[in-house]
Amino acid sequence: MRSFRAAVIAACLLIALPPAAVPALAVAEPPSCADPYLVERTFANGARWQLCWEMRETEGLTLTDAVYTPNGHAPVSVLTSAHLAQIHVPYDSGEPRFHDMAGGLGFSAVPLQDQDCPEGERREQDEVPVLCVLPDQPRGIAYLNPSLGEDSLRRSAQGKALVLFSAFELGWYTYLVEWRFADDGSINPRVGATGSLRGSDGVVVSPEHGWPIGVGASDFEESHQHNIFWRLDFDVQGPADDVVEQYDFAGSGTASLEMKRKALTKEAGVTNNRTRWWRVVDKTVKNSDGHAASWEITNSDSSQYRGPDTEPYSHSDVYVTQYNACERLTAENAEPPCDESVDRFVNGQTITDPVVWVSVDYHHVARDEDHDPMPTHWQGFFIQPRDITASNPH
Amino acid sequence: MLNRKKAAFAALAVIACAATATAGLVWGGGRTTGAGPAVAADRAAAGRAAARLAPGQNDPLSADERRRAIEIAGDADARRRGGRTELLYVQRDDDKAVTGRRAEAFSYDYDSDRLTLRTIDLGSGRIVSTETATGVQPPPSDDEERAAAELLLADAGLGKGVREQFEQRAGRPLRSPDDLHLRGVIFKPDHVHGVSNARAVAACAEHRCLRLFVRLPKGKWLDTSRIVIDLSAREIYTMEW
Repeated sequence: MRSFRAAVIAACLLIALPPAAVPALAVAEPPSCADPYLVERTFANGARWQLCWEMRETEGLTLTDAVYTPNGHAPVSVLTSAHLAQIHVPYDSGEPRFHDMAGGLGFSAVPLQDQDCPEGERREQDEVPVLCVLPDQPRGIAYLNPSLGEDSLRRSAQGKALVLFSAFELGWYTYLVEWRFADDGSINPRVGATGSLRGSDGVVVSPEHGWPIGVGASDFEESHQHNIFWRLDFDVQGPADDVVEQYDFAGSGTASLEMKRKALTKEAGVTNNRTRWWRVVDKTVKNSDGHAASWEITNSDSSQYRGPDTEPYSHSDVYVTQYNACERLTAENAEPPCDESVDRFVNGQTITDPVVWVSVDYHHVARDEDHDPMPTHWQGFFIQPRDITASNPH
Repeated sequence: MLNRKKAAFAALAVIACAATATAGLVWGGGRTTGAGPAVAADRAAAGRAAARLAPGQNDPLSADERRRAIEIAGDADARRRGGRTELLYVQRDDDKAVTGRRAEAFSYDYDSDRLTLRTIDLGSGRIVSTETATGVQPPPSDDEERAAAELLLADAGLGKGVREQFEQRAGRPLRSPDDLHLRGVIFKPDHVHGVSNARAVAACAEHRCLRLFVRLPKGKWLDTSRIVIDLSAREIYTMEW
């Protein structure tokens, strides 16, 4: 059974359609890694993802050299590096407050068993299976256009995604660090938290800081935040000419909305709002319509935690900084000579090679149902191609 | 406000939880000595495309590369006079501007409370940069977690509590810190707010301090949130809130 499944996965991974070159886009270099750290997937619709993975001591699961090839087009590079940059867990009474990655995320990697990765392939580093690769996860309807009355024009497709995840046991929590690379070119980074609650046995928790999950109304589980940061080094067809733009839509109580574009050319920390989004655009890389190729970031699901003055890195939702190899974590960064937190990485530099730091926060008020084993709660955001191709290539 | 004795008891409150099923095997990364064999290169049977003979630029450090990095950094540490310097671990340097394989090695001197980060060119075997800093703390190593657990067990009150809890769950006495499942997280004074005895942990602004998650047999976690272990001063502080 297992060998059959392996054969099916192998067949799926090996289906490759040769991309037809589109002159406007230069061809991306293939990822700089060797088996077993190379992940390649060509979907039935012709879309392809290629990337490298690595379990790093501090940052845990790290993806490098992610390249997307739309059906019938040339490969385009997306992310040179992507990983978590901190998990900040402050409890509602004010204490305790943890920086979970100050324990070294990679050191906490959970060896995965077959039951954790039943439709995928477990990859090993140092002979320990720490990554699950799921090559063909359903993601619902990719599109449906009924063209009523004209059956020959009816268009419908089921979407699929390449999913990679690792699990990390950080104290009582187990974090699932997951990346979903879809067959429409979109990326969904997200983190799930499961394992166990901290527990309040013997610890006084005031009712305003928790929820009674024990018998009666005296045993409270303390509410808390999971403030998760991602570090994303976008390089659209290489690092040159990349710019981050922020889009807003002016108008409230009005019939019309007016689009406002702002180029973030200097390092900055910015705040999220419901219609704001960003893109990393390379003005010199254009699709066949002459539109500049870009990757769009949306981050509208955050609880937007704001900590005290001693936690200034929690005071913005997105940071944009100039690439610096030793700027790796948003708090407790421990790579001298770089500074220790992302708010201090923002020091007035002009950006020629942007790194985007995204914070998505989740406030967990425990329920009776969160008793062991605690059901997974998720938080994440979306990245999608914007004008990589001149039309839907799939 | 809890008094110190009550706080110490609360600090060791046992969290009731079911065991999370994990194998005994844990990924050690750069914290291991590098003694393990390299990951087998031939994975063609698993159906992966584009297998190459040479390691790629972005591949993790091989066991051999890690061993060499540990040796080079260890030699550099040994040339230093005085102090209590330990090599914490090594990891791949992933600076995208660099071509060729490099490793980063983290060392810490507990006397001067100085972190040293060396970058090693694995091709030439040369140290290409050395950076130092105080008050900057990378994650704890395996050895440091064990040293912290030894300090915890040596503490008259807290150590007794851990031993009692262990024996209650395991049905046998605790023999060594190796009986405990440990995970250390760096602690700094600016991580706490509203701690009534904040001055007790003020030394951790410069010292190498950590909090230790401790799991007992049968999946029971000790809530050690209030306990701070100072590896520089070899002391334990219990925070009160």
